[in-house]
Amino acid sequence: MPLTGTRDLTAAAADAPLLTSLDTEPWELKGAQHLQLHYELGGDREALLPPALHPSIPPTLLVNVTHVPDSEVGAFTLATVRVGCRAGARPRGLLVRGYCDSAAATAVLRERWGLPLALADVRLDPSYARAVTSVTLDGAPILAGELVDPQPITGADVQYMATLALARVARDGEETLLLQVDPDYTFERAQRGRPRLTAFDAHAWNLPGATAAHPISASLTTVDVTFPRLRYLIHPGRDPLRAVERLPQPA
Amino acid sequence: MKFGVFFEISVPRPWGPETEYTVYQNCLEQARLADELGFDQAWAVEHHFLEEYSHCSAPEIFLTAIAMQTKRLRVGHGIVTCVPELNSPIRAAERGAVLDLVSGGRLEFGTGRSATWTELGGFGANPDETKKTWDEYVRVIPRMWTQERFSWQGRAFSMPERTVLPKPYQKPHPPMWVAVTSVGTEIDAAERGLGSLGLSFGGVGEQARKIAGYRKRIQSCDPVGEFVNEQVNTVSFLYCHEDDEQGVTTGQRMAGTFNYLSEQTLATRQAFPTPSYLSPGLLYQLRQESTSAPEGKVPEGLTIGDPHRVAQAVRRWEEAGVDRINFLLNVHEMVPQEDVLASMRLFAREVMPQFQRAEEAKPAPEPEPAAATAAGGA
Repeated sequence: MPLTGTRDLTAAAADAPLLTSLDTEPWELKGAQHLQLHYELGGDREALLPPALHPSIPPTLLVNVTHVPDSEVGAFTLATVRVGCRAGARPRGLLVRGYCDSAAATAVLRERWGLPLALADVRLDPSYARAVTSVTLDGAPILAGELVDPQPITGADVQYMATLALARVARDGEETLLLQVDPDYTFERAQRGRPRLTAFDAHAWNLPGATAAHPISASLTTVDVTFPRLRYLIHPGRDPLRAVERLPQPA
Repeated sequence: MKFGVFFEISVPRPWGPETEYTVYQNCLEQARLADELGFDQAWAVEHHFLEEYSHCSAPEIFLTAIAMQTKRLRVGHGIVTCVPELNSPIRAAERGAVLDLVSGGRLEFGTGRSATWTELGGFGANPDETKKTWDEYVRVIPRMWTQERFSWQGRAFSMPERTVLPKPYQKPHPPMWVAVTSVGTEIDAAERGLGSLGLSFGGVGEQARKIAGYRKRIQSCDPVGEFVNEQVNTVSFLYCHEDDEQGVTTGQRMAGTFNYLSEQTLATRQAFPTPSYLSPGLLYQLRQESTSAPEGKVPEGLTIGDPHRVAQAVRRWEEAGVDRINFLLNVHEMVPQEDVLASMRLFAREVMPQFQRAEEAKPAPEPEPAAATAAGGA
């Protein structure tokens, strides 16, 4: 059996959203700009993941920043830092904490998809030469990075990993769970470049000891994103082969 | 139809001081038995850093050990990674020639380019370049083997004039193959006159379509070597047991475990957006094709079950146009070694003769220098 994580996520879930229903409708966000900085992960890979997940070989760190120019709650920018891993044999990214610059969007994403988001100043500034991002919390930079030397590719070349969002769910009792959020993407434009991360406060992202050890790639896309209905969740403390629960779907 | 064995060398955790030693010794014992039982070939992969899934990072040494412990078994690189950061083309030609010499002309030379960021990233290779460097390697290596003096100014590498030594024992050179996993690589193989080394486990229908395209295109190929190696090799899991249910159950567990382990690695496409890796990658394909049967059914083409079921699967491959099948005998050491050996013996006793008879009954092909050499001069 491949390596599995050792992290107890109960404490980390203290400020995660509490969902009373897992039945949500899709949400389409048109014309988003999406930056991904992909690194190989440094630090204790097992200590960052719960027992239900395997570290990928090698484990990775995924920085994702999405700017949505317009939505039913207005424009917003969302930033996550995830640990690339495997749920059984499936590639996934574990999200323990993320940030958004809009209180309204934060509320929607917490309540409907369980994304563990907090408010912060999140910026994404693409230009022809680079795409720069930063996240500032209480005046302190907790993330700063950029894509450099962008080159055109096609959306077909880009593959995003589904998110496992740390949440609390009230069913028979309150449970700490990982909700699978796997948006649909329709690409309009895509570029690839090199990632450069100049600031990363692992503590602020609740990934203690994590470092961006080795750059892999960076991509910037213009894309329609559809947040889907929730279909699967994972019990983080279980064995990987018994951890996945399929949620009932409407006929 | 010819039969072979195929080694990934998967090593389960926990890794004690004897674990890798034991797995390697088990594989060598399987190769010796394969030789005794009349299997034709043994192939070994080249993989790096793929924890548990494959610890076969120096196949040329492993294959040399096999060659020294066997008499007839041909030894196949499945494959040499044709990426400069992993293998110099000069060293690949030299090592291949030495293996051919010490084995008495038993080398089959497979080529490919790696499908994982785990490996390419580990060596600092650029995934955008691997198809191009592979193409360059397959054109220069046969020239290194056959020309007394060789020089090159290329994209992947350059060298002033030297005599690349030694030369292979097989003349003009060993048969060359390419690993066919990504969509369209079978046409790349055909256009260059290379053998098609299918590594997709199962999926007979899809492979039959690829084989038909390969056979058609190779008729008008421009061979990179001195001859056309028109042959199709595929790979499957083998677990043959008197009790069909036990054979099927164990074989399917092997396939499932293999897929599970392979998916733990990081496919190039998952990490590095590039048009150079259009398909989701080898590992994804392996999983899809070998687990695509409906619930309760055995995936088509998997050689698992009792001898009758295994023979049916082999026949299906034969009908699809495959010339050789290589068998993965164990995964993650989940089958005890004595059961692996028993499975091989049962296959050799009950299944292999059916196809050897069919082979003998076929009319002899027209003399064709290229084809004769393609078979390794055997």
